[in-house]
Amino acid sequence: MPLSMANTGAVNTVKKIRGKDETRQFLATLGFVEGAAVTVVSSMAGNLIVCIKDSRVALSQQMASRIMV
Amino acid sequence: MPIRLALAGNPNCGKTTLFNDLTGSTQYVGNWPGVTVEKKEGRYRADKDVYIMDLPGIYSLSPYTLEEVVTRDYIVGEKPDVIVNLVDASNIERNLYLTTQLVEMGIPVVVALNMMDVVRKQGDRIDSTALSKALGVPVVEIAAIKGEGVQQLIETAKKAAGGAQAPKHSFPAEAEKALEQIGGMISDVTDRSQLRWFSIKLFERDEKVLGRFHFSEDTRRELEEIVAEAEAALDDDAESLITDARYTYIGEVVKDCVRKSRSGMTTSDKIDRIVTNRILALPIFAIVMIAVYYIAVTTVGAILTDFTNDTFVGEWIQPAVEGFLVNIGTADWLTGLIVDGIVGGVGAVIGFVPQMLVLFLMLAVLEDCGYMARVAFIMDRIFRRFGLSGKSFIPMLIGMGCGVPGVMASRTIEQDRDRKMTIMTTTFIPCGAKMPIVALLAGSVFGGAWWVAPSAFFVGIAAIIISGILLKKTKMFAGDPAPFVMELPQYHVPTAGNVLRATWERGWSFIKKAGTVITLASILVWFGSSFGMTPDGFGMVEDMDASVIAAIGSALAVLFRPLGFGTWQSSVATVLGLVAKEEVVGVFGSLYGVAGDALELVEEAEFGALSPIAAHFTMLSAYSFMVFNLLCAPCFAAIGAIKREMNNARWTWFAIGYQTVFAYSMSLMVYQFGLLFTGAGFGIGTVAAILVLAVYIWLLFRKAPEHTTQSLRSVNAATV
Repeated sequence: MPLSMANTGAVNTVKKIRGKDETRQFLATLGFVEGAAVTVVSSMAGNLIVCIKDSRVALSQQMASRIMV
Repeated sequence: MPIRLALAGNPNCGKTTLFNDLTGSTQYVGNWPGVTVEKKEGRYRADKDVYIMDLPGIYSLSPYTLEEVVTRDYIVGEKPDVIVNLVDASNIERNLYLTTQLVEMGIPVVVALNMMDVVRKQGDRIDSTALSKALGVPVVEIAAIKGEGVQQLIETAKKAAGGAQAPKHSFPAEAEKALEQIGGMISDVTDRSQLRWFSIKLFERDEKVLGRFHFSEDTRRELEEIVAEAEAALDDDAESLITDARYTYIGEVVKDCVRKSRSGMTTSDKIDRIVTNRILALPIFAIVMIAVYYIAVTTVGAILTDFTNDTFVGEWIQPAVEGFLVNIGTADWLTGLIVDGIVGGVGAVIGFVPQMLVLFLMLAVLEDCGYMARVAFIMDRIFRRFGLSGKSFIPMLIGMGCGVPGVMASRTIEQDRDRKMTIMTTTFIPCGAKMPIVALLAGSVFGGAWWVAPSAFFVGIAAIIISGILLKKTKMFAGDPAPFVMELPQYHVPTAGNVLRATWERGWSFIKKAGTVITLASILVWFGSSFGMTPDGFGMVEDMDASVIAAIGSALAVLFRPLGFGTWQSSVATVLGLVAKEEVVGVFGSLYGVAGDALELVEEAEFGALSPIAAHFTMLSAYSFMVFNLLCAPCFAAIGAIKREMNNARWTWFAIGYQTVFAYSMSLMVYQFGLLFTGAGFGIGTVAAILVLAVYIWLLFRKAPEHTTQSLRSVNAATV
C-alpha cells in the first residue's frame, strides 16, 4: 500500500518507490530506499511527517503516495 | 602554503556554525535545511593560510535544487585541497550517504562527527576509530556549537590536504566491470583522481556530466551498451543499484561502529504531535505570528521606541545638537538642515530600531528552535490549494526580516515556475524596514490599536494567496506545484549566541542604512522642502508647500488621490520608499515634523493631541497608505535581489510591475469600499473600485488553462 495510507506509529518497510527518476533519486538520498524502515510520526490531512533512518521528513500526500510500503 | 578547505555535508548539520567558529565571521545560521544558499569564503582564525569555504548543504552530488548546484560545481570544478565532511552523528546513516560519494572525488576527505553530545545524551555510542578504519578517512569528533574538537579537526585536515583519496567501498562485480570499461573510455580526457567519480556518474546516466564530455554518437551508444549490460545482469537500473550498494555498505559500517539504545518517541516527535496537529496547527501558527507582531510593535517594542524617541533623541540629542549649533553661531539654514533634516529624518528611523530589534529577536528564536520548518509543512496544505508549495513559505518567513535574503532563499524550491512565483510574492510580507511604517501609523493614527501590526502580516499572506490563484490561471504558471519533501530538524532550545548574533546582524544593517542611504535621502528631502520659487526668485521658502519637493509631490499626488493619500508629502514618502522602506518614515519625520518635534509623533498621538501626521490621515486613508506601501515594488536592494534570482530582465520588470499594479488596485479597493461603507456616498472612485473588483473576481474564478507543458526544474532552468 502507499505510505499515505499507513497507520501512525506503525513501523513499515519501503517496498518500492514510484515516480520520475529525479524524484526517486532525491527520495533515495533522503533514505527512502527499498528495505528501509519507515514510521509515520504524524499526519495532517494527508501530509505526513515520517521517521526514516533517524531523521524526520515531511512529505505531501502526493509524494507519500509514491512510496509503497 | 595556502590550503583551500571546503565544508560539505547534509543540510542543517552545522556547517555554518562551524564556519563561524573557525573564521570568526558571523554568517547567518538557522535551524532548518537550506539556510545557506550561497558559498562563502573565510580564513581560519589561528592560521591565515587556511581558506575555508562554507557550502550550501547537499544530500548527494546529484543536485535536486539550485543551491545544491553551487556546492557540486565548487567541489567538482574548483577541486579544494581537502573536504571536511560534516556528519550529523545523531543521523549518521543518512549522512554517510554523501560521504560515500565524496570519497570518490579523489580529494582527501576528513569526516567531522558533529553533534556527538546529542548522541551521548540519547545513550548511543559511536566508535569513531572503527568508523575511520571502515571509511578509510580520518574521523574527528567535534561539537561545533561549543567549539570543541575544532582545532584538532583543522590540524587533521591540514595533514590530509593534498594527498590522495580512494574509496573503501565497491559496487557489485558486474557494475565494477562496467565502471572499469567506462573509465577506459574517458581516461585520456579525465584527471586520474576524478576518474572513478566521472565513471560512476556516466554509469548513472547523469545528464550534466554526460554533457561535459561531448561524446560522439558512437561513443554514446557504446556507453549505453555497457550500462545496459550491467543493468540486465543485475536486474536493476543503474542509478538504483549504485544507490543500493551505497546504503548496503553504510549499513555494514554502521552495524560495526554504532551502538544504539533504541528509544520510542523523541521529545521532537511529541512536540510535532501538537504543533502539526490537524486541528491545532493553524491556530497555533496564527497565535504565534500575532504574538510576534503584538510584542514587537505594540508592547515591548513600543515602550523602547518611546524611550528612544522622547528621551534619548527628543530630550537628549536634539536640544543638545540645536543648542550647540546655535551657540557656535551656525547659519540658520544649516541648523535647520541638521536639526530638522538629518536628526529629524534619520532620528525618526532610528527611533524604530528598538522595535525592529525586538521583532528580529523573536524571529531569530523562531528560526533557531526548529519551528520554521514545521510552518512550511503546515502551510503546504493551504498553499497547495493556491498553487504554491509549503517550501515557498520559508522565503516569506525570512522576508519578515529582510526581503533580500528572503528572495535568495527561493533557491531551495525545486520547480522553476514555483520559484519564480515565490520570488514575485515574497516581498509582500512586511519586512523589518516596513515595520516603522506600520508602527508609525498604528501609533499615530490608530491610537496604538493592537491589531494593526499583525494585520499587516496577514494582508501580506492574503496578497500572496490571491496572487497565487490568479497567476496560476495564466499560461506561464499553470500546473501543480512540486510535491513537498523537506527534512525537519530536531527542536532545540535556541542558543543565546545564535539568537543574539542574528538579531544584531540584522539590526546593525538597518542602523548602517540609517547612517548612509537614509541620511543622504534626508538631506535631499530637507533641501527639496526648504527651497523653491519665492516672489524674489529661487531661494529658501518659509512655507513648505511652496517648495520644490512639494511641486514634484503634488504632481505625483494626483496618482494617489483615488487611494486616499493624495497629499504631496505621502507621495514623496512613497516614492522615496523605493530607496529604503524606512525612508517613508524618514520623510514624514522631515516634512511633518516642523520645529523639530518629528520624533514625538507617536507619543503625542497617544495623548490625543493633534499630531501633524494624524492631521493628514484618516484611519481609512492611513490603512490604504499602509497597504500600498507594504505591497508595492520593494526597495532597490530587494529589486536587485529579484533581478539576480530571476536572471532575466523581462521577468524582473514583470515582477515589479505586477507588484505595483497589485498594490495600487488593492489599496484602491480598501479606500473606496471603506468610504462607501462608512457612508461617504457613491462616486467615480467607487465605480472604479467595483470595476477593479470585477476584474479580480474574473481573474480568480476563470477556468484554468489546459496545462500540457512539463514543468521545468529550477536546476535545469538555471543552465538554459
